[in-house]
Amino acid sequence: MLGKWYAKPIAAIMAMVLLLAAGCAPDKNQGTGAEAEKKKDELILATGYEPEDGFDPTTGWGRYGSPLFQSTLLKRDKDLKIVNDLATGYEVSDDGLVWTVKLRSDVKFSDGQPLTADDVAYTYDTASKSGSVIDLTVLKSVEAVDPFTVKFTLVHPQSTFVNILVATGIVPKHAHGEDYAKKPIGSGPYKLVQWDAGQQLIVEANPEYYGPKSAFKKLTFLFLKEDAAYAAAKAGEVDMAFVLPNAAKQQVPGMHLVTVNSVDNRGILFPVVKAGGATKDGAPVGNDVTADIAIRKAINIAIDRKKLVEGIFDGFGTPAYSVADGMPWWNPDTVIEDTDFDQAGKILAEAGWKDADGDGILEKGSLKAEFTLVYQADDQSRQSLAIAAADMIRPLGINIKVVGGSWDDIARMMHSNAVLFGWGSYDPLEMYNLYSSKTAGIGWYNTGFYANPAVDEYMEKALKATTEEEALGYWKKAQWDGKTGFSAKGDAPWAWLVNRQHLYLVRDGLDIGQPKIQPHGHGWPITDNIVEWSWKK
Amino acid sequence: MGLVPFILKKLLRMAALLIALCILSFWLVSYSPLDPVQAYVGADMTRVSSEQSEMIAEYWGLNKPPLERFLHWGSAVLHGDLGTSMIFRRPVAEVIGERFMASLALMSTAWLLSGVLGFALGAVAGMKQGTWADRLIKWYCFTLASTPAFWLGLLLVMVFAVWLGWFPVGLGVPAGKLADDVTLANRIYHLILPALTLSILGVANVALHTRQKLVDVLASDYILFARARGEKGLQLFWRHGLRNVALPAVTIQFASISELIGGTVLAEQVFSYPGLGQATVQAGLRSDVPLLLGIVIFSALLVFVGNLAADIIYRVVDPRIRKGESA
Repeated sequence: MLGKWYAKPIAAIMAMVLLLAAGCAPDKNQGTGAEAEKKKDELILATGYEPEDGFDPTTGWGRYGSPLFQSTLLKRDKDLKIVNDLATGYEVSDDGLVWTVKLRSDVKFSDGQPLTADDVAYTYDTASKSGSVIDLTVLKSVEAVDPFTVKFTLVHPQSTFVNILVATGIVPKHAHGEDYAKKPIGSGPYKLVQWDAGQQLIVEANPEYYGPKSAFKKLTFLFLKEDAAYAAAKAGEVDMAFVLPNAAKQQVPGMHLVTVNSVDNRGILFPVVKAGGATKDGAPVGNDVTADIAIRKAINIAIDRKKLVEGIFDGFGTPAYSVADGMPWWNPDTVIEDTDFDQAGKILAEAGWKDADGDGILEKGSLKAEFTLVYQADDQSRQSLAIAAADMIRPLGINIKVVGGSWDDIARMMHSNAVLFGWGSYDPLEMYNLYSSKTAGIGWYNTGFYANPAVDEYMEKALKATTEEEALGYWKKAQWDGKTGFSAKGDAPWAWLVNRQHLYLVRDGLDIGQPKIQPHGHGWPITDNIVEWSWKK
Repeated sequence: MGLVPFILKKLLRMAALLIALCILSFWLVSYSPLDPVQAYVGADMTRVSSEQSEMIAEYWGLNKPPLERFLHWGSAVLHGDLGTSMIFRRPVAEVIGERFMASLALMSTAWLLSGVLGFALGAVAGMKQGTWADRLIKWYCFTLASTPAFWLGLLLVMVFAVWLGWFPVGLGVPAGKLADDVTLANRIYHLILPALTLSILGVANVALHTRQKLVDVLASDYILFARARGEKGLQLFWRHGLRNVALPAVTIQFASISELIGGTVLAEQVFSYPGLGQATVQAGLRSDVPLLLGIVIFSALLVFVGNLAADIIYRVVDPRIRKGESA
């Protein structure tokens, strides 16, 4: 039948397609054994999203993970302690307003020019005017005192300014033009070779780098989403991939799973004032049920956090007890015994809550123990968390109505309803923002109008502290000082539920060291210690 | 009507269309529930204070009322400036140009493939109506027509990239290869799966319409007459079928440019292919208004040019249209 007039063209097309496929296929690296042998000094990674706006630290590049091309004044070691990088030391004046940083004198940019205080001042000056995610509103001025001394003057004392010094890579004043974000020059461990927008970033070791040399000559970062990264790992095309919990359960030959703890957390915020108020924009403030500390404490104690981790994140997470579990400013005393229904019931009974009409929901006078919990509707894991938490609490006699909404809806509801939020940062300023009475009702911070003068005082002291250790002590006391605090042991304005774990598939034999606890956001933070990575001998 | 006034009239229409489109899209975007500042800040809202948010809004002019923003944007566009993309921090025209060049190869390959393959399949099915070849082609087309492109794309990735390892799982060039070393073969190799996915939408459409038209044509008196003279097979199709069945195919093929743009959004997502589709998704999700509007204008132009081309080709292919209008 095919011996007809149309047989020839069809056969020709098919032959062409086959030829193309065959002709191109040898380009692909087949066989993982030979491949690994060949590229001992190269890595291909699919571990993060593309920074679309490029590699300019003055608009936010490098604030997570390693800035690769640039280096920062200070950095955090694997125990999250602050150590010197470009700096040889820093001093804070007694009033907390003037920060003086001394620089190393032997640092060169990858173009061979020396790095001086002028470059540092220029970097911070530019960043403060860039209208980007780098928040330098606290910085009044920055000046180069001499070639290797920089002086920062702040508007008000803020010990957390140190985190800006950790997160901001220094750019060269002489080479920071329009194209910088595409062709960065810096003093970091790597040099940019090529950036294929939307696809990949190729870097090589920077010979001018002053720190330990990377074990790899060349790194390629592919910009794939988690599912595509997983497919690439399965196809043997990458040495490392970031994956989601649902994919992590399956074995990928030649690779193993690395789980990294994070403070990428989820928790329930409660409005702590009684209903009746309103914000400037007219959104209602306060909720009579969650304003009762007994309700908030009972929920905190009754929740089974381990079960939430198992059920919703396939076990890839840890129970959360605060906004900053595991951070240097975290107070370990905030860990409570949970899944304790007897104790929770006792607290509620003592506060006068009882089920008088026998409908399974507690009352106190005319007030029914029910409230609404709103979550971000397009995030499936938040939805599951909200529903699971509500189901866990219902046997206590507290009825949580679960509602999904857009961020716009949430912005209107968040002062008068419980909200499922996610936070988690390398900066204790976040703690201040969430719990200070000064930030009540401002933006997304402290939407429950929590206020405790003792907590406020500790946090103000923490901000005014002139050394990191002093500040850490006050941050811890603000959480729980033995009598009061903003943790679940104290006023319990939140019920923290879980910290997510970030998951990476890593080629067998590749040693990525000891990754530190990661902040909110999956991907780039893993590159933090990238210069320490190597093949196991 | 001559060709020149015809084109002039079309251009005038295009201008009106673009203006209406700009107003409508801007109006729609201004009602988007996404706050552009928050979309830009994203997960960094833990560290960005409300003062900094205000600074960001001021820097990008987002604190002004929508009408003022629209007039500002509109007058800049009239001067040829599409503005600066918030997420890329580069001029919108530059971003679109770069992304479109990447998409162009994908879109044109898929477009040609669906046109040629669709027309050929339709012609075969029509000529062989009722035979096993016809049934096979129809079955194939119905299956394709009812298959979502992204689903098919995922299937292709799973089978050909992950299981068989014949093709890469994504991207437009080999991982880690320097631009100078990337060969044409490399590029084609990375193009095959996404182009195949994208072309599938068009194939079924063109094939089924061509087949139906050919069946109608073959039932006509002049074909009967031609057959009576002894013409058959390829000769019959060439002399009497081709021009007659070309019209619906041309219409569908050029009208499908709009679907093609929609399709690239999906295909590029599935194959991590760096084109306009990816940029569109990012602009939408992160409320990058200048980029989104730039892409809207650009794709509207593309669709318009496609339709215009179809109109012109009609006049070339079919003398009845050419003469009928000038009479």
